[in-house]
Amino acid sequence: MNDDFVPAHPQDPGLDPAQDAGSHADAILKVEDVSKIYRSGDTEVHAVSSATMAVDQGEFVALLGPSGSGKTTLISMIGGLLSPTTGSITLAGTDVAALSKRELTAFRAERVGFVFQAANLVPFLTARENLLYVSTLQKRISRKEAHARADQLLEELGLAARAKNVPEQLSGGERQRVAIGRALMNDPDLILVDEPTAALDTKLGRQVVELLAREIKQRGKTGIMVTHDLRMVEYTDRVFEILDGHLTHVEQPSALAH
Amino acid sequence: MNLALTEMRRSKLRFGLLAGAVSLLVFLVLLLTTLSTALVNSITGALNGVDAQVLVYSAQARDNLQASRLEPGVVEQVTGVDGVGAAGPISTLTTSAALKDGTEDLQVFGFQPGQPGAPTGLSEGRLPQSSAEVAVDGGGYVIGDSLDLTAADKQLEVVGLLRGAQFSATPTAYITEDLYGQIVKATNPGVPFVPVNAVAVSTQDDPATVVSAINEQVPGTKAYTKSDAVALIPGVASISQTFGILVGLTFIIGIVVIGFFFLILTVQKMKSFTLLRAIGAGTGRLSRVVAMQISVVVLLASAIAVVLTLLAVRGLNSGIPVSLSPALVAGTVLAVLVFSLLAGLLSIRRIAKIDPFTAAGAR
Repeated sequence: MNDDFVPAHPQDPGLDPAQDAGSHADAILKVEDVSKIYRSGDTEVHAVSSATMAVDQGEFVALLGPSGSGKTTLISMIGGLLSPTTGSITLAGTDVAALSKRELTAFRAERVGFVFQAANLVPFLTARENLLYVSTLQKRISRKEAHARADQLLEELGLAARAKNVPEQLSGGERQRVAIGRALMNDPDLILVDEPTAALDTKLGRQVVELLAREIKQRGKTGIMVTHDLRMVEYTDRVFEILDGHLTHVEQPSALAH
Repeated sequence: MNLALTEMRRSKLRFGLLAGAVSLLVFLVLLLTTLSTALVNSITGALNGVDAQVLVYSAQARDNLQASRLEPGVVEQVTGVDGVGAAGPISTLTTSAALKDGTEDLQVFGFQPGQPGAPTGLSEGRLPQSSAEVAVDGGGYVIGDSLDLTAADKQLEVVGLLRGAQFSATPTAYITEDLYGQIVKATNPGVPFVPVNAVAVSTQDDPATVVSAINEQVPGTKAYTKSDAVALIPGVASISQTFGILVGLTFIIGIVVIGFFFLILTVQKMKSFTLLRAIGAGTGRLSRVVAMQISVVVLLASAIAVVLTLLAVRGLNSGIPVSLSPALVAGTVLAVLVFSLLAGLLSIRRIAKIDPFTAAGAR
C-alpha cells in the first residue's frame, strides 16, 4: 500500500481496503476479496483482483479509474449484472454472488437502481412511462403509489413539464435526469451510477451529478458512482480508485490525474 | 403500463402496415379455402350428402358414378349381403331444362323414397314422394314453383329445396326412382331395363367390412365407403391439391413475414431489451411483450381479413354457392396465431441470449 495517503475519514484506521472494510462493520454493502477473471484460451485476464470495500448506508462514494481499469466490471458485479469468479458481495444481508439468474433479475429490479452511461431509457416510452415501467417489475408499491411517486420524482428532478416527452424529445441532461428518476423509482437499497456524465458537457455533467448526490442524500440512499472525471468527485463522501483491476481507498484522488 | 401495447400505440404506422400485410395474406387463405371448399362441395355435395354409408358401382365404372351401370336386380343382391341394413338405388343423368335462373343444364338424381340413397341437406320443404314432385339445389327456385323438365316434357312441382347437394357444380334435381324410370323410357323408348348407377347401402356395421363383403358376394360390382367414393370423383383430388398448395404457400409466406418482421423489430430494439434486462425485467416478461404484439397483430389482421372475405364472397358471382364458414375462420386464425407465435420464438431466442451486463458497457 501507498503510505503517502491520509485516511479519508478520521475514524478510518488505515487505507488498506481490507482494514477499511473492517471499520464498517454495519456497512450496507460489503465487497470481500472479489475477483473477476476472464479466460481466453490459455491466458487469464484479471479484470478485477481481490477487491474489498465497504459502504455505509447513506454514503455516496466514487469509484475512480481510467477506462479499462475494471470499474464497470466491479459495479456490475455489485449490481448483480455479472457474477464474480471468487469472493463475496453482501447487500443488506443478501449474498449477491449466491443468487440464481432468476433471483438476480428480481434483485436488480427491487434492490438496485442503475444509471448507465448511455442508452438509459426506452425510446418509445415517455419520461413518465420510463419511470412507471420500473414499478411494474416489483410488487412492493401499488399502481396508485407508483404514479404518485413517478410524478413526485419528475417534479424533484425538474422534469414535470417533460413527463410526456419521449427520450428523443429530451436533451442529454434531461435524459440522464430521467434515468436518475428511473433508478430511484423502486426505492432501491443501492444506486449504481456508471459514468453519468459521459455524454454531457461539463456544466450539464456537474448539474446532473449534483442532483444525483442531492437525491441520494435526501433519501438516505447508498450510492456508488463510477467515473474517470475527477471534477465529479467533490460531490461524493469517499473515493475508491481502481487501476488494472486493483482497488484502493484513496484520500487524494488527484493522484489519478495522469 | 403495458410495454407491448404502449409501443404499438406509439408506432401505429409500423404495426398498422404489418397488420395490413398480414390481413391480405389471411384474406387470401380464407378466400382460397372458401372457394375451394365451395367448388369441391358443388362437385361432391350430392354424393357426400347421400343417406348411406356404402356405395356400390359396377366393376367396370372405374370409380366413376356416372360411368356405372347396374341392373336394378343388384339392389336386392346387395340387400342380401351380410351386414347390409338396407339398400336403395341411385340413378343419375344430365339433362337440359329451362331453369328459372335462365341456365339449362340440370343434373337429375333418382332415389327410392324411404330407402338409402335419398339426399340429405334439405333446407326447406320436403323430399318428393310422387312422380309429380321434385326437390332441387340451385336454379333459383322457391317452394311451389314449377320446374320445366324439357327433355322429358314434364312439369314438376318444387316441394323441397336442398343445400350443399349439387353434383358437378350444376343445379341438381332429386326425383323419385319411378319418375326417373319414366324419363329414361321417354327419352330412350327401346331401352330393355332402366339401369341404376349405384346402390346405396346403410349399415350398422363397420362400413369397411361391409365393403369387403359386398365385393366378395356380389359379382360385377365394386363397393366403396362413402368417403372413398367422394374422394374418387374425377377432379376432386386435383382441385383439393391445387388449392391446398396455394393456401399452404400463402400461409407459410404469412408466417415468415410475421416471424422476420418481429425478428427485425427485436434486433432494432436490442438496446432497449438489454437495458430492461439490466434493470430487472426477466426474459419471460420481455418474451411476453413479443408474444402479445404478435397476438394483437394477428387478431387485428384476421378481423380485417374476415371483413374483406365477407365482402368478396358477397361480391362474387361464381355460379356456385359460396359461404364463409365460422369454423374455417376460427381454424385459420388459430393456426396463423399458433404458427406466428412459433415464428416469434426467433425473436424470443434473441432476447433470451441477452447478457444484461452489456447494458453497463453500452456507449
